Amino acid sequence: MTTPTTLSPPAAAPAPRADVGRPRLTFGRLLDAEWTKIRTVRSTVWTLASLFVLSVGLTALICWGVAGELADDTAGEPVGAFVTWGLMFGQIAALVLGILVASAEYSSGMIRTTLAAAPRRWPVLAAKTTVLTAVLLVLGAITSTVAILAGNFFLDREGIGFSLTDPDVLRTMVGGGLYLAVLGVFGLALGLLMRHTAGAVTVGIALIFIVGNLVGLIPGATGEWLTKLMPGNAGTTLATVESFNPDLLGPWTGFGVFAGETALLLLVAGWLFSRRDA
Amino acid sequence: MITAERLTKRYGDKTAVDAIDFTVRPGAVTGFLGPNGAGKSTTMRMVMGLDHPSGGRVTVNGRAYRDLPAPLHEVGALLEAKAIHGGRTAYNHLLWLAKTNGIPRRRVDEVIGMVGLDAVARKRSGGFSLGMGQRLGIAAALLGDPGVLLFDEPVNGLDPEGIRWIRNLIRSLAAEGRTVFVSSHLMSEMALTADHLLVIGRGAILADTDMSDFIARNSAAHVRVRSPQGGVLAEALRERGWAIRRDDDGALLVDGATSEQVGDVAGSRGLYLHELSVVNASLEEAFMRLTADSVEYHARTDQPVPAGV
Repeated sequence: MTTPTTLSPPAAAPAPRADVGRPRLTFGRLLDAEWTKIRTVRSTVWTLASLFVLSVGLTALICWGVAGELADDTAGEPVGAFVTWGLMFGQIAALVLGILVASAEYSSGMIRTTLAAAPRRWPVLAAKTTVLTAVLLVLGAITSTVAILAGNFFLDREGIGFSLTDPDVLRTMVGGGLYLAVLGVFGLALGLLMRHTAGAVTVGIALIFIVGNLVGLIPGATGEWLTKLMPGNAGTTLATVESFNPDLLGPWTGFGVFAGETALLLLVAGWLFSRRDA
Repeated sequence: MITAERLTKRYGDKTAVDAIDFTVRPGAVTGFLGPNGAGKSTTMRMVMGLDHPSGGRVTVNGRAYRDLPAPLHEVGALLEAKAIHGGRTAYNHLLWLAKTNGIPRRRVDEVIGMVGLDAVARKRSGGFSLGMGQRLGIAAALLGDPGVLLFDEPVNGLDPEGIRWIRNLIRSLAAEGRTVFVSSHLMSEMALTADHLLVIGRGAILADTDMSDFIARNSAAHVRVRSPQGGVLAEALRERGWAIRRDDDGALLVDGATSEQVGDVAGSRGLYLHELSVVNASLEEAFMRLTADSVEYHARTDQPVPAGV
């Protein structure tokens, strides 16, 4: 490593300068920076790769395994629930990616660099949310589409496949992207609230995937409604052609509830973010 | 130019920074000296808008940090070595940072060259040594060619070569007319780099003085003399108008006299001397005295203290 002991002279005199003609912070620049951040760490590549591989691979595997039984109609299961089955597992990666976008800044201490460059915190959060949403929207839609194609291939062989122009199938292809994007933002909000990766992952997985199933054990209408309204349950129907649980909210209603809950959590996280010391 | 007015930070009922006022001027290195936990880092984080003051205000070039239109063009900071995601390469770290403030890509290459990281710029920073991490942090601080620079304990953990490099860098940045604010808990380090000195202890400014004044006032030597007839000797020395203090072992400490003068006084009275030496006060001691418990500090009026306390 070379070690110069003096600096090259600065390009301009460092005396106080007017703001005119000099760059300013803009939202476009923040987006560009956040996009650069997310694409230049390997954790993004790994989480997105596992999102795709788990979702598509497990869907193909289960459809290959159960297609025969489903065709004989001995299982009595909703066929449409199987063509995006792998997303149940793949979605964890979307949650984790969202969490990392916030929590990795804290675990590395980089948040101070970020806020030194862009001291206003709401725009920083907005830029992070936008980039994460865009990435997961695109990759989520691709993932659910490929998963459906893969799963449907095996169902088709048994004569129980779906038409790819079926409105519910088309809705699921897009819905997978929407659901995973909002789930990622849910993770981002959680990561920003907790500022700790392992803690946020634990809480996120517990909240979305475990508590969502447990509240059904509460007897009566309370349990029924809690089941419908838990974030994971509410959002997931949009990303399935047909749900295993017929009692859940409809796809768009459920997604609306999930998006609302996520927006609320994000606002709370943003409010704390803007007030807390970095 | 950094200006703090009644700047205060409280955590619960503990006051980390207590209504401090100070100005950091361009064209000079201002040393921010204080023991660990004195409030140096908290103050610097408040300058950067990272921590919210509990009271008072601090501005950079007349504006609160958050109101700067493009902060990296005005302020560069090395707040801690580890403000970098270890999974990202040095180049990409500087790249995203440059993009926030509309800094061109070629400037990224330029600062990498300045800090001598060319060879490792495409390597993930997680594998960097402390010194390399520090260089990357400095590259980030220089990215926007800012007129104001903050360095929080820049030489911590560096090898002698790295320390010398940072010292030279800091001096040259001030020589170019920039405002340079450097914190340290080492007096010796400040003596080598700073033109102006702000001493902070327990959240309060204890001294705000020119480095040369501080040295002149605190590096004054005194004569240490030990005699079996200490009482008589002390009397004789006092007659000459010199200030006398007694050391713990009974020796006399004479301010304002040379060893020759003290020896001559003793000789003229026929007194025995068991020891006669010149003791050079160290700046480190002066700093320790300043920042020791403030009660203890006020009680010891016999110690030289700098102006502005």
